Amino acid sequence: MVNKVTVKDLVCYYGNKCVLNLLNIQIMKNEILNIIGPANSGKTTFLRTLNRMNEYNLLYSYDGKIYLDGKNIFTMKVEQLRRRISMLFAMPTPFPMSIYDNIVYAPKHLKLIKSKAEQNIIVERVLKDVSLWDEVKDRLNWPAMKISGGQQQRLCIARVLAINPEVILFDEPCSGLDPISTAKVEQTMLRLKQKYTIVFVTNNVKQAFRIGDRTAFFFMGELIEINNTKQLFHSPNNKKTADYITGRFG
Amino acid sequence: MRKIIDSLTEKIIFICGMLSIVFVILIFSFLFKEGFSFFKHFGCIKFVFGTLWYPTSEPAQFGILPLIIGSFLVTLGACIVAIPIGIMTALYISEIAPKYLRDILKFLVELIATIPSVVIGFVGMIFFVPVVKLVFKVPTGLTAFSGAIMLAFMAIPTIVTISEDAIHSVPCHYREGALALGATKWQTIRRVVLKAAMPGIIAAVMLAIGRVVGETMAVMMITGNAASIPHSVFSPVRTMTATIAAEMGETVRGSMHYQALFAIGLVLFVITFIINFIADLLLETKRK
Repeated sequence: MVNKVTVKDLVCYYGNKCVLNLLNIQIMKNEILNIIGPANSGKTTFLRTLNRMNEYNLLYSYDGKIYLDGKNIFTMKVEQLRRRISMLFAMPTPFPMSIYDNIVYAPKHLKLIKSKAEQNIIVERVLKDVSLWDEVKDRLNWPAMKISGGQQQRLCIARVLAINPEVILFDEPCSGLDPISTAKVEQTMLRLKQKYTIVFVTNNVKQAFRIGDRTAFFFMGELIEINNTKQLFHSPNNKKTADYITGRFG
Repeated sequence: MRKIIDSLTEKIIFICGMLSIVFVILIFSFLFKEGFSFFKHFGCIKFVFGTLWYPTSEPAQFGILPLIIGSFLVTLGACIVAIPIGIMTALYISEIAPKYLRDILKFLVELIATIPSVVIGFVGMIFFVPVVKLVFKVPTGLTAFSGAIMLAFMAIPTIVTISEDAIHSVPCHYREGALALGATKWQTIRRVVLKAAMPGIIAAVMLAIGRVVGETMAVMMITGNAASIPHSVFSPVRTMTATIAAEMGETVRGSMHYQALFAIGLVLFVITFIINFIADLLLETKRK
């Protein structure tokens, strides 16, 4: 297992309130790392710190180091970082344009593609990666808003894949989806693991059990426990973890 | 009791809704009635494409082409100035400015909107017109150019406030989605935020154009009021609205001249109707 992301002594604040306290985590290459925990435990803050999406919040401040392949992410150019660590949000967020344009939007402005033929190849490849190709191949010029919520979310995954990132952050990607769409997104994630490193924040303990290789349990801004998913679920070391995964609170 | 109030409220709202339609129809039919007999006597083509406007000479000439060109020139000039400045101001206010500056700017822009047009015309006449005369070395500063600039000044607040609303109401997740893909702030604004806000911005521009076309007082004071076809933007012009306002007082009720002014009103009405119609079409295609 190769180390992809290393988080060292990360502390995050909103104003004076400490939301993440001395976090140390390693994320391995090509794994799915679950992050579970009740509301307000700092899961999303952690995720948004990894690609520096929190920096638009004026109250936010942090301390500590995060390394991507040994390089400090806080000294990288932020656009460069987000190209390598991209993110998927809870609600599907297609742009108000066609399905096709949604996918080529980012590669175009990052100048990753030159010709129209190259564009077509990328669109087909990423849509196949999220198994959406068969559903939308005849209507690529449709507005992305017109397809269903589950399809939109997979389109957003495809959009992320088009810039070929190394790490993909999923922030509760299924919270707004029906069970069938959820299953499709999960299958997609499992398939993506071969090529990408995935950090997966979820509120759904069962879902975490189904897909994550390892699981981290956050509580009130602290990392309580991190372990192999099976181990963590079957024999948690901490009582809080046990209470949470058995549904006694949270 | 509650049912009565309910149905009563419904009826009152219905009447209010209908009233606006009734008024538009009444205004239009009144304009039509007064203007139509003029068209019958003088001829439609001769009226719209005639190049001479001498309503009081003998025989009277009622060609409004100079007036149409005057209106068009002033409106176009105002748009060229106001649209980019307005949209960029809106972008700055809603996307870039820090919070405290945003509030101040919004307040000030809304304050500009409340300045009566006669005041803007007056200020323009006293301060701006001499500057134009001096800088561009033209015989008079009362030109289409001066009018366009002052009108732009009036159109900008409309464009800014409505576009700002449109840009502000673009859902946050569009921005985050684009940023998370490695787009810079400017790329996000240009390719995603502006695109999503476009229907609102178009509406803002159309409203502003409507205001500029219909504006009377300021243009009457600044554009020089010469009803001849202008050679350049630095010639004096006269707009359709200014003509109606300036000459309505001196006409004999029911005379040819009187009816000609109504006919101008009808032409204005048709023009603004077309502008609104185009705006609706644009918004409709955007929505699809």
